[in-house]
Amino acid sequence: MNLTSLSLIELREVIQKKEIKAEEALLAHLKKIEERENDISAFITVLGEQALVRARKIDGKKEKGRLAGIPIAIKDNMVTKGVRTTCASRILGNYLPPYSATVVQKLEAEDAIVIGKTNLDEFAMGSSTENSAFFLTRNPWDLRRVPGGSSGGSAAAVAAEEVTAALGSDTGGSVRQPAAFCGVVGLKPTYSRVSRYGLVAFASSLDQIGPLTRTVEDCAFLTQIIAGHDLCDSTSSAQPVPDYQGEMRERLNPIKAAYLGEKILEGIDLEVKDIYYKTLQLLEESDAQLFEKKFPLWKYALPCYYIIAPSEASSNLARYDGVRYGFRNPDYSNLREMYVQTRTEGFGEEVKRRILLGTFALSSGYYDAYYLKAAKTRSLIYQEFQRTFEDVDYILTPTTPEPAFLIGEKKDDPISMYLSDIFTITANLAGLPAISLPVGLSQGGLPLGFQIIGKHFHESDLFRLAFLIENKVKFASCKIKLPKKEE
Amino acid sequence: MKPKIDVDYVSALAHLQLTEEEKADFAPKLIKVVEWVGKLEELRFDDSRIEGFSSVPFSLPFRPDEIRGSFPTESALANAPEKKKDFILVPKVIEEK
Repeated sequence: MNLTSLSLIELREVIQKKEIKAEEALLAHLKKIEERENDISAFITVLGEQALVRARKIDGKKEKGRLAGIPIAIKDNMVTKGVRTTCASRILGNYLPPYSATVVQKLEAEDAIVIGKTNLDEFAMGSSTENSAFFLTRNPWDLRRVPGGSSGGSAAAVAAEEVTAALGSDTGGSVRQPAAFCGVVGLKPTYSRVSRYGLVAFASSLDQIGPLTRTVEDCAFLTQIIAGHDLCDSTSSAQPVPDYQGEMRERLNPIKAAYLGEKILEGIDLEVKDIYYKTLQLLEESDAQLFEKKFPLWKYALPCYYIIAPSEASSNLARYDGVRYGFRNPDYSNLREMYVQTRTEGFGEEVKRRILLGTFALSSGYYDAYYLKAAKTRSLIYQEFQRTFEDVDYILTPTTPEPAFLIGEKKDDPISMYLSDIFTITANLAGLPAISLPVGLSQGGLPLGFQIIGKHFHESDLFRLAFLIENKVKFASCKIKLPKKEE
Repeated sequence: MKPKIDVDYVSALAHLQLTEEEKADFAPKLIKVVEWVGKLEELRFDDSRIEGFSSVPFSLPFRPDEIRGSFPTESALANAPEKKKDFILVPKVIEEK
């Protein structure tokens, strides 16, 4: 039995039935990590010995949790007690958190095994994982290409079967875009569905933690475990968490969905467009009623985001001043110099750029022209979605405008990089749940993603429709041919 | 809108110091981004419709006002770059005249 290629649900079953031990499952994954990390570099930290001790302990337990022995990777912007949490930044290079994020506590309470911490764009700012202060991660489908970002390490690790599932965070598409680039399933839940306690803040009104898995059912199962109210996050919802896995298998109501008008799709990769229409056609063959919607405000979503997110980031990142934790530059003669030297040396280029942009947008004389205008635009976008959802239950889009791009291709052109998130960002602005699933390969053998956006708290609907599509497109039969060495 | 960005002023507000090289690299990129986000200028707002955007689709609950435990001093100080006894060490905050 190839333990690393099993889905979470399958691995869970063989462990629960005692056909294999948690320790065996973990060792198989650690071996795979050892074989593939040289090529992929998905992990900042791998927990070998510590995870083994935990696996043995779980094997000895009589009553096991729902995730007993499942190896899970955590993006390195979620704190893990006593395990280095860096945000892929020099400023947190040696940070050892005194507590674990609520999502990590929930996974561990169900006997999951945290196998390691994955690479990301520094402070989750980026779409390629090239902005990590430590090293870049490569796409397992083609090592010359990026895995997407910012949760690129998590997506690559799941795709390369180094781990059964992973958590990422999504502020503008950071779970869904790398999921699409790496051929895995990624969910951004409704804002407030999952506690953000212990997620290092980037843009607090947009950030949401979500799972990356190889199947829709795994995604539903993991969402079930991490969702729910948390006293430590006052913005987390008290709404009861449904049985996502059970509801996913329920009969679908007649599908009524909106798809994007030609204008929004202008300029996107032809293969992406082609597979988007093919997937829509598959749905029509399943009696879905599809309606073209123009979404006149869609084109304002990215500029709106690139004011709101950097503004919130400039405020959130003000805490990194070298006083209480993290890096402190020893070269100072007074307090202000300590702040400046610490931040100047501690932050990377893209983080500085966004802090400057946010500081500018919030500064006296520009606040009304930029931040306030963006906040108003956000309200209009939200209203546009609300109106659309009066007629349909889903909005269907490609996940990304193109397949995974080459390493270095967009590094020097911020706007071109920002455009990677054109289809994903609206869900963050409006707080809506959205899932990306792989629906095929390009001619060049790169995965292509399809995105379903749903109504607030209607994750079950997303899983049901995604499950239907998954069963029709059978992407799981597409296999990565690893290792494909860099030329 | 043709934006003007005083990079020195903004970086001072952000407690960042840019080298001349970085300024030369950052300034045009920043201006390009600010020009691009200026696209929002095209929108006309009817202010009555756009009050009170909230990212949470419910009212925020209060938690009971009960005293709960917090981190022990030792673990709260464990990551401090410089410390002395139970305190974090920083340069003198009040400057002499």
